[in-house]
Amino acid sequence: MYNLAYLVSIFGVIGLFIIFFLAWMLIRKIDKMKKLQMTVNKLKKALEEMDEQAKLIVRTDMELNKIQEELDKKIIGLYALQKISRAISTTLQENQIFKRIEVDYLQDLGFEKACGFLWSDKENKFIPHLNVGYLIDEIEMISSQIDLDKKLYLNLIKSEKTISSISKLPGAGLGDKINHIFMVKFFVISPILPREGNQGFFFVGTENTDVVLTEGDEELITILSNQIGQVLENARLFEKTWLAHNELEEKVEERTRQVTMALEEVKNVSKRKSDFISSVSHELRTPLTSIKGYAAILLEEKLGSLPQAVKERLAKINRHSDELVQMVNGLLDIARIESGKMTMKIEERDLKDIIDSASDLILIQCKNKDIKLASDIQKDLPRVLADRIQAERIFINLLGNAVKFTPEKGQITIRARKKDDAVQVDIQDTGVGIPPDALPRIFDEFYRVDNPINEQVKGTGLGLSLVRHIIEAHKGKIWVDSKPGKGSTFSFTLPVE
Amino acid sequence: MDISVGLSTEKDPVSAAIEATKLASIKIHEEKISLAIVFSSIDLSYPKLLKTITISLERPVPIVGCSGAAIISNQGVFKHGVVVMLLSFSKDVYFKSACVKNIKTKTALKAGIELGDSLLYGFKNAHRLLSLIFSDGLIDEGSNLIAGLQGRLGKSFPLVGASAADDMRFLKTYLYFNQELLKDSAIGILWGGKLNFGLGIKHGWKPLGKPRTVTKSRGNIVYEIDGAAAIKIYEEYLNRNPAELKKDLRRISVLYPIGIYIPGEEEYLLRNILSMEDNGSLRCQGNVNEGSSVRLMIGTRESCLNATRAAVNEAKKRLLDANIGFKKRQGMKNFVLVLESASRYILLRREINKELEIIKKGLGEDTPIIGLCTYGEQAPLRAISYQGQAYFHNQTIAILTIGG
Repeated sequence: MYNLAYLVSIFGVIGLFIIFFLAWMLIRKIDKMKKLQMTVNKLKKALEEMDEQAKLIVRTDMELNKIQEELDKKIIGLYALQKISRAISTTLQENQIFKRIEVDYLQDLGFEKACGFLWSDKENKFIPHLNVGYLIDEIEMISSQIDLDKKLYLNLIKSEKTISSISKLPGAGLGDKINHIFMVKFFVISPILPREGNQGFFFVGTENTDVVLTEGDEELITILSNQIGQVLENARLFEKTWLAHNELEEKVEERTRQVTMALEEVKNVSKRKSDFISSVSHELRTPLTSIKGYAAILLEEKLGSLPQAVKERLAKINRHSDELVQMVNGLLDIARIESGKMTMKIEERDLKDIIDSASDLILIQCKNKDIKLASDIQKDLPRVLADRIQAERIFINLLGNAVKFTPEKGQITIRARKKDDAVQVDIQDTGVGIPPDALPRIFDEFYRVDNPINEQVKGTGLGLSLVRHIIEAHKGKIWVDSKPGKGSTFSFTLPVE
Repeated sequence: MDISVGLSTEKDPVSAAIEATKLASIKIHEEKISLAIVFSSIDLSYPKLLKTITISLERPVPIVGCSGAAIISNQGVFKHGVVVMLLSFSKDVYFKSACVKNIKTKTALKAGIELGDSLLYGFKNAHRLLSLIFSDGLIDEGSNLIAGLQGRLGKSFPLVGASAADDMRFLKTYLYFNQELLKDSAIGILWGGKLNFGLGIKHGWKPLGKPRTVTKSRGNIVYEIDGAAAIKIYEEYLNRNPAELKKDLRRISVLYPIGIYIPGEEEYLLRNILSMEDNGSLRCQGNVNEGSSVRLMIGTRESCLNATRAAVNEAKKRLLDANIGFKKRQGMKNFVLVLESASRYILLRREINKELEIIKKGLGEDTPIIGLCTYGEQAPLRAISYQGQAYFHNQTIAILTIGG
């Protein structure tokens, strides 16, 4: 019994202990669970907080993406703008400007449709100049719609402001109306304002509902239409200048024609003069020959002796007739050269031979006046292209003049040198020289320098003129360098091959 | 294998086709051409494009391809243009091309099965290697098409594909099959024989915010997430009202897609949102299973380009692995097929050519490249040659190198 009671009490204690232990365990578990719950709550809160942060991140990222997109669009738009600017600014023809705005460029700007209208005062309506993305009948329909509402568009041009789907429009429902007329979902319309000539407007639009139109788009289109205005202005100014230039050119042409006609007239007159001189000279020569012939017969006294006084008069007639014949011959030669009727045999000739034979002829005259005749001819002088007889005439005339105007004991020098494609000959004398005022006319026909020698010695006044004509017929030049009292130098050129 | 690529950015389909084909055929024996892969922008998608290519090649050559949001070649990434790759395989390489039409009436699943059957029909008893498929980018059930195809080719059979695209207007996309221009269709090629390939597929998007559970969905429509209308996830994170979201969601989801957690996979499977329904449910590009753990995803240009690097390295490694034990033969050559998500093209924008540089640097400057920007990519998540199941992806860059 005792043992049983003992056992029961022992079990009771153990049971109690177990109960206590279990209770303690439970309390601990509950505590742990509470702690865990707290951790879970903490984590949950952290997760919620992180989720909130995630939202912030997404929103910021979205904002950034939007900005990036806008930036990209602007860059692409600017590139396109640059391309269009380059394309339109390289033409100065008004009708070419709009043709150069290509669909690709507009697509880069974000629009697939575009048109441009310019006001015409003459027709009192807007005329389409640009059409991108519309069919021909569509653009005709748009034109007629615009015509019905022209005041609206004229006011738009007057306001000088760009309007678009996102800007504040002057009338209610105007945006929808424009969308309807131009068959788009979004649009930008900007005035084209050249300071010269007709103004108009530029329209761009898109059917794409995904497009987000921004102020940046408005700005780009405004820049573009300004550019179009500028280019139009340039083209029109150019057109004006071009017309003025053409007018001027026409005037110049007209004047040139008049001058040419006048020149032709002068040539005709000159030719008539030569013809006249030529025929008159011929007519004069025949009677002169008779006069001279009869005078000679009389002088030879073949028809009976004559008194001294008659003889003297006859000798005068004879001498004057000679002079006249000489003059007539000179005139005839000049007329022949001028009309190209003088037959010349232009061949390569040794100039030294010509100079020598001309010198021989003049040598006696020199000796009479005790004038020294010197020549200085370049060795191996090239052969000149000349007619022998005419070339000799040049020398005879020029040397004759030199002798005539050079006082006794003077000197005449003949020089010949190669110069460029020609041979230059200088005939220098120590004579009386030529006054400066006479120099420009020295080679004119019948011009005689006013000096004592000329008063004493008769001359025709045709010698130098003839020389000039001969030299020019040889494609050479003649000029003179002279100072009164110091002598003269006559220079001329003859071509070499 | 002989490979050559020609590119043209001419605006008219006929001149573009002539230029691209002529440029490609300069470098290859015309009699030996076995296959032409053609990608073009949607503005060149006309029957005369394919007709002109055939005429320029002077004989009928099997053509496969589709329209894309952009086209890729060694020369760059182009919004407008056509790229033609001409392939001449050796005798021990086999391939079969096939197409399935009218997917919408047949249902995507059945169309997938039909395509699988057509590809297998008459395929020689050769060792099957890889299949490449292109499908209409505007069909909703891209995932089911793959499921159907896998029902025939095998769940773990390597399958790589792309959804055709247009100029981001989501109006129409075209498939190119021989001389046919197809809509509402899918085309495929099955390769076998002595050919090796390596695939890398990555997107680079990172999860953000707390994980959520899809509590109600069917096919590609997600009705509820965490017991609330699915649209709430975007409302909360973006702080936008449903009306704003309805308009912009497609564009927004390109930057912030939904990511599906796949146990054991390194990257999340991404889903773009095609549209928001009035009841607040989301129509996704590709299926989302009920019970999936999903998160909102965020990507940057940098993470995108890092993903490209990773994909290139993976493709390269897989090709090298495959080449082990393969006797090196004379004239062994590789080409690269780049299937780039149109979303990444939008995100990368002007830096898109940096991505091409990474590919060229990784796989060799002279390796011929052809590719396009797609509305969806199909490939195994982790591209281990024979064990990866193909999923329908969004936003990824899939790099497939084929050598032989």
